[in-house]
Amino acid sequence: MIFTSKDLRIFINALCLLIAIFFVNEIYGAEGGPCKEYGECDKFQYSLNDMESLQRGAATYINYCYGCHSLKYSRWGRVAKDLQIPEDIFFENLVFDKSIKTGDLMTGAMSEDSVNWFGVEPPDLSLVSRYKGDDWIYSYLRAYYEDSSKQYGVNNLVYPGTAMPNVLLSLQGNQRLICKNIPIIALNGGEKRDESGNSLLKEKCGFLEVEEGTGMLSKEEFDTLIYDLTNFLVYVGEPSKATRERIGWYVIFYFLIFTALASLLYREYHKDYNK
Amino acid sequence: MSEIAGRLFSWVNDRLPIVNTFERHLSKHPVPSKVNFWYLFGALAAVTLIIQIVSGIWLIMPYSNTEEEAFSSIEYIMRDVDYGWVIRYIHTTGASLFFAVVYLHMFRGLLYGSYQKPKELVWIFGCTIYLAMMAEGFLGYVLPYGQMSYWGAQVIISLFGAIPYIGESLELWVRGDYYISGITVSRFFALHVVALPLVLIALVFLHLVALHEVGAGNPEGVDIEEFLDDDGIPLDSVPFFPYKVLNAMVAIGVFGVVFSIIMFFFPEGGGYFIEMANFQEANPLVTPDHIAPVWYYAPFYTMLRAIPDPLGGLIVMASAVAIFFVVPWLDRSKVASIRYKGIYSKIALTLFGVSFLTLGYLGTVGVTEIRKTMSIICTIIYFAYFLLMPIYTKYETTKEVPKRL
Repeated sequence: MIFTSKDLRIFINALCLLIAIFFVNEIYGAEGGPCKEYGECDKFQYSLNDMESLQRGAATYINYCYGCHSLKYSRWGRVAKDLQIPEDIFFENLVFDKSIKTGDLMTGAMSEDSVNWFGVEPPDLSLVSRYKGDDWIYSYLRAYYEDSSKQYGVNNLVYPGTAMPNVLLSLQGNQRLICKNIPIIALNGGEKRDESGNSLLKEKCGFLEVEEGTGMLSKEEFDTLIYDLTNFLVYVGEPSKATRERIGWYVIFYFLIFTALASLLYREYHKDYNK
Repeated sequence: MSEIAGRLFSWVNDRLPIVNTFERHLSKHPVPSKVNFWYLFGALAAVTLIIQIVSGIWLIMPYSNTEEEAFSSIEYIMRDVDYGWVIRYIHTTGASLFFAVVYLHMFRGLLYGSYQKPKELVWIFGCTIYLAMMAEGFLGYVLPYGQMSYWGAQVIISLFGAIPYIGESLELWVRGDYYISGITVSRFFALHVVALPLVLIALVFLHLVALHEVGAGNPEGVDIEEFLDDDGIPLDSVPFFPYKVLNAMVAIGVFGVVFSIIMFFFPEGGGYFIEMANFQEANPLVTPDHIAPVWYYAPFYTMLRAIPDPLGGLIVMASAVAIFFVVPWLDRSKVASIRYKGIYSKIALTLFGVSFLTLGYLGTVGVTEIRKTMSIICTIIYFAYFLLMPIYTKYETTKEVPKRL
């Protein structure tokens, strides 16, 4: 043969090394995330069994969002039922158009003029949690900041140039982009310090901060409000999600029992055959 | 009572070969007594095909194959149809797992030489099944009419346009319109639910008939027909029923666990089984940020993208699938199983596996310079595995194959 096995071994090692280097490079050179200038999206952990959270989220949605954003695949009565809100209370407090019936779709309250108002038609949000993801929604709604160059005086770190005004401004207050002095991190991961042990600082911009006293809610209250709202949108994106995750355990358990019985039977039969 | 049942049975059996068929293909069908887990994926593929057909039938009932209603009918299934979400997720999870199982089944073929004489036809029917599956999967992915359905179809159909002379009219003929529209959706629906399933079932039937004619293989590459007992039954065999059926039952149980974990807890498969962009209705005016195929086409999509010329890309991609058909004639080895093949075959198969997985990864991410280079290297390795096979299998030193299992 032309190649000795040593040549081949070197060749294979080189190739594997090349592929390994490639994947390491891939992991570190990750592309910009979906949350754009915000950096990493904040992690959102839904809790679809927390009825109070979902109910608060539904109320916030209908009061602040539903005016523009329909949920056209969702039905009023189903939401009331899934969220365990008695239908009479639900229709009295959350359904403003009295001609709506329980089986109707939530097709929105927006007039045809909306395109002229915002430049784009406010999208239907039934599936927003599925095509944008819950992390994205949770980050987006908390990433508005004051920007006088924009039509509505606000911009968004997660979605720069967003066409949506900050509807929740009165609740959150005036959020601004500020610069902060932050400790410089040395190569070893610790903070860099000067000779007398004080941290070395550098100015970094792009931090969000709410002007105190401008909003009706505290930061924590506002975060909870957005949490509930996002939780509700996760529910609307897939109303059967909680049921799915509950049933799943039973089905897995069934298949485990099935596997156990099948392997016992299999062993029993093979004992006979191998005698 | 039992006498009447017995007489009824023999009346039917005299007119329909029930006992005969059962004995020939199940209770007296000899299969190698010692095989490993690699030999279970064929049975799992058959199970998945049945799952897809049954769940598919139930999906057809509420689905609407029009441009206006296709997308919303899927949401109707997910929300308003009782347990509609179960049926839909069975079908989407089943599609991905069908490919996963078939890829493992094909890899088993390469590993243990399941295409060697006299199994050439079994292999060729198998390759044709894979081809039909790729078409079936593509057609099915268009039906929910989401963004990725639309733009994926746009990319694939425009491939026909790269064929010289007839390309443009062929493209038009496939689409049935000047752009992807309701006409495309409804014809893809007809092909997806009637035409290709019929083809698939027929091919699976042929695959099995041919297999039962030549007999199943084993990881040692031993011909079990050489040593027979007094009744002419191979010594190293067990009857298919009940031994292998029970073995398959265990595999089905494990498969069921994996299936349910995905279906109930990760139905989108992290965006690989159902892509996030497909939760937005098809919009011809907005192109998604990056168009990626579902994972099971990704390796071939990478090859397509790696070649700058569309026709060249199409040829490379088509050859990558077509080359499987001639594997029985590329392998010149005296032995079937990788256990007794030489070092070159082992290295070649390993590199092939690595390059296939890397190509798959590359197909799901955006293009950069280094990824492009990587795509080309892996495409070369992929083809080298096949094209150099006649050389490395012929000139390597193989080990002695034992006589018995």
